[in-house]
Amino acid sequence: MKKLIFLFFVITLAGCEYELSPWETDAHCPGVSVEENLARLAAFEAANGKPDSYRVAIIGDPQQYPGAFEDTIKHINTLENVHFTLLVGDLAETGIKAEFEWMCKAMSKSNIPIIPVIGNHDSISFGKDIWLDVFGPYDFSFTYFNTRFVAYNDNQYEFGKAPDREWLTDEAQRPAEDGQPIEHIIGVSHVPPWDDNEGFDAHMSDSGYELTIHGHESSFDYWEREDVGLPHYITTQNRDPGFGMLTVYAGADMPLQVDNCTRDCLITTSRVVAIPSPQ
Amino acid sequence: MKSYLFVLLSFFMALPQWANASYVDLQSGSLMGMVHASYGDSFFDNHHLSAGMGYVPKLDNHAEMTLFSLRYRYQNPYRFDFNVEGHDFQFSPVNFGTSLLYGNHSDLFLELPDQYPKGYYKPTALRIIFNYQSILHISDKTEVYFDISILDVGLITYVREPEFFMDNYDYLGLEGITNWGFGLRRHF
Repeated sequence: MKKLIFLFFVITLAGCEYELSPWETDAHCPGVSVEENLARLAAFEAANGKPDSYRVAIIGDPQQYPGAFEDTIKHINTLENVHFTLLVGDLAETGIKAEFEWMCKAMSKSNIPIIPVIGNHDSISFGKDIWLDVFGPYDFSFTYFNTRFVAYNDNQYEFGKAPDREWLTDEAQRPAEDGQPIEHIIGVSHVPPWDDNEGFDAHMSDSGYELTIHGHESSFDYWEREDVGLPHYITTQNRDPGFGMLTVYAGADMPLQVDNCTRDCLITTSRVVAIPSPQ
Repeated sequence: MKSYLFVLLSFFMALPQWANASYVDLQSGSLMGMVHASYGDSFFDNHHLSAGMGYVPKLDNHAEMTLFSLRYRYQNPYRFDFNVEGHDFQFSPVNFGTSLLYGNHSDLFLELPDQYPKGYYKPTALRIIFNYQSILHISDKTEVYFDISILDVGLITYVREPEFFMDNYDYLGLEGITNWGFGLRRHF
């Protein structure tokens, strides 16, 4: 019996963590930072010629369902021509370390880079600290095969004045490092443009954005203000199940396309983003 | 916070009427703080209620925080005796409990702050913890225990998607949701 008790204690000690409270901030999430994933993406870009088209998966709001998130990631691994995934926020529900760690475990199953932006649920409790430590900056941009993606934090309840319009313009208009022309500019954030953020769509459109991509609303949506004409694509919550798919065609005169995918991406509602008329 | 103190005060005022044995408890880890001191009473032999206060100093991975708790524990009467070098011990292998834990910090809230619409978030400062204890009775009045706990969201997520945890963590996936701590209890 003594041996059994000893064995029990060894097993339980090996299987558990010594946690001081639910609000620790040192989430164990190797390999998921924005910096690491952008480096993977840049390496792929450098090793491959510019394709005629490529696809980007868009996953939103996987909170509370890491298993469904993992299933989606594994499914996306099987799809052709998907170069990376945009994860548009709300990995956590209550902003605690354990929730982030489960999602990181699921993200580790991806064969392609996953680029995350912070959601409002990720920002509560001590989630802001965990995010900075695990994923990195709230705002960042990158250019992939002549398309500029600008990821920005617009969780205004949690961060006060957000997003930073001046920064959004600077990132859209910054020349590419390789000197090549930027063919498309796409904004990515968790919350679709706020109703009370007056003039935001016009500001984004004037800055050159063609499309913005979001989550938060837990259902597929696609809309634009009549007076501005900047389309906003919203993906559904992951457990629906569903995710979005952006297709980028080479050339500034080629349109962008967004599709609504069910889990196996059989049923799609396709939207072609109109090419902006020259100003 | 005021309502919490009211509940705590009411609890202790009511204790003498139906309690049959008091104890103090010192615990470390298992989501209850670096140190968590509780005072409690036993009822109907196997049921235990306690209230306590914990503390976590400022660390690299934790903000300085005080914690408050209300805890219930069911202690299974089964014990077995054993002897180590002439000293008699008793061991209670199976005991279960639940705790209501309140974290007192400006980044956490019980009532939704003004900037949010009604119902936007559930309280972030209040958590429910489920726990299992193995207790070693050193004497009639003193016992030490090993505690394994599961946070509310851990239990819910595990029940919803057990395959995810079983595929990714050891020990039936429980590695992904459990935490451990230890403590000392002294009965009066």
